[in-house]
Amino acid sequence: MKLHSNPWLRTAYARLWVRAKSIYGEPLWVAVNVGFPFFTSFSFTMVYRAYGLGAYAGFAILGGVMISFWGNVLWSMASQFNWDKQVGLFEIYISSPAPITAILVGMSLGGILGTAPSAAMVAILGWVIFAPPIHPFWPAVVLVFSLTLASLYAMGMALSSLYLAYGREADSVNEALHEPVSLISGVYFPSVGGISPFPFAVQAAASLVPLTIGMDALRQSLGFPIKVAFIPLYIEALILALMALILLLASSRALRFLENKGRRTGSIAVRQR
Amino acid sequence: MNVLDERLNDAPKIREDQPGLRNVMNRVDAEITVEVDGLRREFDSKEGKVTALDGVNLQVRKGEIFGVLGPNGAGKTTMIRILSTLLLPTSGKAGVMGFDVEKEPEKIRAVINMASGAERAGYDFISARGNLWFFSQLYGIPSEEAHKRINELSDMLGLQNYLDRKFYALSTGYKQRVTLVRAFINDPKVVFLDEPTIGLDVMTALSIREYILKQAKEHGRTILIATHNMAEVDAICNRVAIIDKGKILACDTPAALKRSLGAPSLVLEVSPVPAPASLEPLGKLDGVKGYTSSVDEERGLSRIQVVVDSDGSAQSVIDSVRKSGMTVVSNWRQQATLEEVFVALVGRGFREREHEAA
Amino acid sequence: MSVLRSIVASVRVGWYREFNWTNPLLGFSMRTVGPLAGVIAASSVYFVGSSAARSFSPSQLAFILIGAALYTHVAAYSWVPTLAIAEGKWTYVFPQVFISPHSSLPYLTGRTLASFFSSTLTVIVSLVLSFFILSSVFNTSIPFTVTPLSVTLLFFAMLVNILAAFGLGLLLSAYALFATKFEWALPTYVAGLLMVFSEALFPVSFLPHPVSDVANVLPFTEFMRASRQAMIQGGDVYSYFSYIGLATLGGVILLAMGFLAFRYAENRARRLGVIDKKTA
Repeated sequence: MKLHSNPWLRTAYARLWVRAKSIYGEPLWVAVNVGFPFFTSFSFTMVYRAYGLGAYAGFAILGGVMISFWGNVLWSMASQFNWDKQVGLFEIYISSPAPITAILVGMSLGGILGTAPSAAMVAILGWVIFAPPIHPFWPAVVLVFSLTLASLYAMGMALSSLYLAYGREADSVNEALHEPVSLISGVYFPSVGGISPFPFAVQAAASLVPLTIGMDALRQSLGFPIKVAFIPLYIEALILALMALILLLASSRALRFLENKGRRTGSIAVRQR
Repeated sequence: MNVLDERLNDAPKIREDQPGLRNVMNRVDAEITVEVDGLRREFDSKEGKVTALDGVNLQVRKGEIFGVLGPNGAGKTTMIRILSTLLLPTSGKAGVMGFDVEKEPEKIRAVINMASGAERAGYDFISARGNLWFFSQLYGIPSEEAHKRINELSDMLGLQNYLDRKFYALSTGYKQRVTLVRAFINDPKVVFLDEPTIGLDVMTALSIREYILKQAKEHGRTILIATHNMAEVDAICNRVAIIDKGKILACDTPAALKRSLGAPSLVLEVSPVPAPASLEPLGKLDGVKGYTSSVDEERGLSRIQVVVDSDGSAQSVIDSVRKSGMTVVSNWRQQATLEEVFVALVGRGFREREHEAA
Repeated sequence: MSVLRSIVASVRVGWYREFNWTNPLLGFSMRTVGPLAGVIAASSVYFVGSSAARSFSPSQLAFILIGAALYTHVAAYSWVPTLAIAEGKWTYVFPQVFISPHSSLPYLTGRTLASFFSSTLTVIVSLVLSFFILSSVFNTSIPFTVTPLSVTLLFFAMLVNILAAFGLGLLLSAYALFATKFEWALPTYVAGLLMVFSEALFPVSFLPHPVSDVANVLPFTEFMRASRQAMIQGGDVYSYFSYIGLATLGGVILLAMGFLAFRYAENRARRLGVIDKKTA
C-alpha cells in the first residue's frame, strides 16, 4: 500500500495541516506567541544576572523555549477535544472511520510545527541578548529535544482523554496546571539534581513528569554549568522514550475506553437528545 | 382501530426467532439500508430514567429520503445518534447497510455521514475549502478526488464563490452549506441529517432541499432526515415516520398519511383569543380526533385546527365553540396536513407537545 | 445612582463568573494554585542563582516574593475588561451592555472590581502560603513586617493601583472593541512586558537606559515599591507615601489615557460596525 493512501497517515497529515495552517496562515501569531515566554524568560534571566550567577542565565532562556511547548500542549492538545466537543467537531471525528490516534498525532506534530517559530525566536533573542555560556553536544541535544517533545505531547494526548472525561472546566484546569507543572518540572531552574532547592521527595515526584526529565536532559546536553546532574543523560533519554511510549499507549486505550463510555452514556456530543 | 393503526400493523414484522440483523435484511428485503428493531434508549437524569426511544421499529430502503417527524424532545436526534454510532442503544437492535451499530461501528462509519443543522463545526482560521479537504481526509479520500468533489458539491449549493473565505467569516447560511457539503464528501451510502434547514431563510432552505433530493435521486443514497418541519417532509420525503415520546406512531408516505384522515379538517378563526383550558372540551366531543391552536397576534385571533371524522362532527365543533362565548370569525375545511395527522394520533399539536415537555 | 447600580450589578456578575463553581473551595484552590506556584518558581530561581553565587540574602528573597505575588495580582485583573469584551461579543452580552443607557464603562468597572477582589484573596493566600513554604524549604527567615499598619498600607497600595490597572485594562480593551483577532492574546503579551518593566522580580535599574527610565516612572513600579516599603522590614512610611503619591499620579494619567483611547475606540468600532461582531 502506498504511504499516501494509508488512511492513518492521511488523517494525521490532514490534522497536522489544519493546526499548522492556523498558525502560519496568520504570521503575526508568531510575534504574539513569542511575547509572554520571552518576557518571562527575560525576567528570570535578569534575576540570575542581578542576584547570582549570570552563567545560569541559559536556564531561563531554555525555560522560555520549553514553556512555549508546554503551553501548546496544555491549551492546544489537552483541552482541544473538549473544545472540539463544544463546537461539534468531536462527534464528526468519532462518526468517521478516522483513527483517533492519527488525529492526536497529527495535532501534536502540527502543534510542534506551529510552536517551533516562536520557541526559536525566544531562543535566538535570548542567546543574542545574554550569550550564556554553553557547550552543547548537538547530536545529544537533537535526540533529547525530540524525545522530550515526544513524551510531552504524549502527555498532552493522555491529558486530552482525562479532559474529555472530567473537563467541564477545561480553561480553569489549564490555568491551574500551567504554573505548578512548570514549577516542579524546573522549567526555569533545575528542580531535580544537585542544585535543586527542593527536598528529595518533591524531586522524586517531579521526575514522574516528562518535562522534568526532559529539562534536565536538555540542560546536560547543552552543557550548562550544573554541579551535579540528576541522572546520566543516556538513562534520561531512555526514560523519556519509555514515557512517550507508555503515555501514547495509555492515551490510546483511554480514548477507546472513553469513546465506548461516551456511546453508552450519551456524552460524546454536548447535545443530549 | 383507526386507519393509521391498521397501516402500522400491515408493516413488515421482524420475527423474534430471526437471529441477526443482517440475516433479517437479506431475507426480508435486500434493498433495506437502515433497520431499527425494538430500539430503546434511556438516559439518566436528576429525576431518574428518561426514555428517549421506546421500542422503535423502522426500515429504510436504498435511495429513499426518509423523514422522522416529531416535536422537539420526541427522540429524533437520539435515533440519529444511535444510527451514526455516537450512542449505544439501551436495548433493541439497529443496523446500517447490514452492520450492527453496537458490534460493527467501524464498518458503519466507512459508509455513512451525518450533519446537524445546529452544528457549525469547522476550524475558524482555515478556509471553507481547507475545512472540507480536512474532513475528506478523515475518510481517506485522495486529495485530487477530494477537491473535485468539493467543487462539484459546492457548485450544487452555490458555495463556489465562498470556498476560499475563512470559516469564521462565513454567514450562518454559508456555514450550513459547508456542513452539507461535508455530509456528502465521502460519497456515503447513507446520510443522517438532523434538522438540516433549521434557522435558515426560505430561499436557502429551498436550495438545500433541492440538493438533498438530487443526492438521493442521482446517487441512490439513503437519506434519513430528523425534523420537526412538516413542509420539509412534505416536500422531499418519500416516506415519513411520525414520532412522539420515543414511539413511532405512524409510518407511510406523506400523501397516504394525510389521506388516511378521511374527512378534511376544520379550521376556525375565533375571537377573543381563548385560554388554552377553555378549548379542552373540544377534544372530548364525539368525532373529534384532536385539535391544535395558534395565535395570530397581528389580527388578535386564535386559529384552531380540528381533526374530525365527519361533516356532522365539524358542525358540532362550531356549535360548541359558539356556546363557550367565542365569536367564530371564519371557518373552513381544508385538505389535511401532516400536523393534523400528528394531531389525530396524539390528540394535540407539535406546539402543545413541546409546551408540555418544557 | 443608576450608574452605581450598574457597577454593583456588574461586580456581582463578575464575581459569579470568577467563582461559579459547584464546589467553591475547589474553585478557590484552582485559582490560587497558579499564582502560588508562580511565586515559588520566581523565588526558586533566585535561590538557585544566589546560592551558587554565595550571595543569598533573605531581604532579596522577600523583595522577589512580594513582587512576584503582586505581579500575578495586577496581571490577573488588568486584562478583565478585554476578557469581558471579547467574551461578551461571543455571548452577545457585550452589545446589549453597550446599548444600555450608561453603555459599557460601568460594566467594565464592575467586572474589574470583582476580579480585583478575587485576585486580592488569591494573592493574600499565595503570599501567606509561599512565606511558610519558602521559609521551610530554603531554611531561612524571610524579613516580612506583618502588623495591622503594614497590612493596611499594603491594601491601600493595592487600592491605589486600581487606577493604573484599570487604565491599562481600558487601553487593552480599546483594542478589543474593534479587533477581529489577537485580542485574547494581547493581554498576555502586555503581562509579559509588565513583568519586565514593573520591578516585579528585579530592580529596573538593571535594565539598559533609556528603558530603565521609562520603567522607573510607571505607576506599577511605584506600586511595587510602596508595597515593599509596607511589608519588608526596614521600610519607612515617608518612602511609602512618596511612592504612593507617584503611583496615584501615574495611575490618574494612565486612567485618563485609557479613557480617551476607549472613547476613540468606541467611535471607531461603531464606524466599522464591529461592536456586535463575533471574532475568530
